[in-house]
Amino acid sequence: MTDSSKVVDGFRFMPPALRAWISKDIPDQPFGGDIPWTPLKKSIDETIFTLITTAGISMKADPPFDLEREKIEPAWGDPSYREIPRAATESDIEVRHLHINTEYIKKDINVMLPLTRFQEFEEEGIIGRLAATCYSYYGFQLDPTALLEKTMPKVAARMREENIEAVLLTPA
Amino acid sequence: MGQVAHYLEAQGFSTVTLTNTPEFHRQVGIPRVAAIEYPYGRPVGQIHDRDGQREVLLEALSVLENAKEPGQIFNLPFTWPEEPKKADWHPPEISPIIKLHLDEIKRLGAEARKAKM
Repeated sequence: MTDSSKVVDGFRFMPPALRAWISKDIPDQPFGGDIPWTPLKKSIDETIFTLITTAGISMKADPPFDLEREKIEPAWGDPSYREIPRAATESDIEVRHLHINTEYIKKDINVMLPLTRFQEFEEEGIIGRLAATCYSYYGFQLDPTALLEKTMPKVAARMREENIEAVLLTPA
Repeated sequence: MGQVAHYLEAQGFSTVTLTNTPEFHRQVGIPRVAAIEYPYGRPVGQIHDRDGQREVLLEALSVLENAKEPGQIFNLPFTWPEEPKKADWHPPEISPIIKLHLDEIKRLGAEARKAKM
């Protein structure tokens, strides 16, 4: 599962100045608080999955994420979410994000939200199944209050309707 | 995303986070961390690389299945094929928050370069 010789450097792709600026808010010590934990109830091949990404993906039929307000209020990030049906393809989606290059996702959604790969895993019996609905929100959330208090309860309710047991989270 | 993982675990969902920046784990405490040294915006892999994407995702599923307690980081053994400068992950325009803090960022960058010399 792991290679003990590899330690991922999360700033390898970042210019040194940006690395220094972002690192100053990250403590040197391991996280000391409690981390909530739900054990996996079944083996992977019986588990029902959904996928959630922060990449700002929306369906073309839905309103896109709001980047205009962020351009005026740089500390604000759109706290809403969008549902992405599992059959969605590149031609169905809009991708809006001010902090990454979105061109790759528009060419192959699987680099961020691996819908096709998880459908293959379902067909091959590697996972139980992929739910009908996956989700995106927008990852730039300096103040996550609205996301956590208003948006996530709605997402969790939708996930319960679809009997979700496990989630792959892919931050952008 | 760490806080979203907290929320979901507290609501009874098991999560695994495939992240390019496991350092944030020290800030927020991510329940199950599969760390990958790939560019931002492409944690699963290169476009149209079905086999490579599958390998990464199977490792992430393995972390979900095998992590027994919160707080461990599982470093995935993959290496991005391009040099960081060629990965072209950044947005076409500097983001508003970076623009706002650009002077401070440049100053920290100059200090970091000095410290290296």
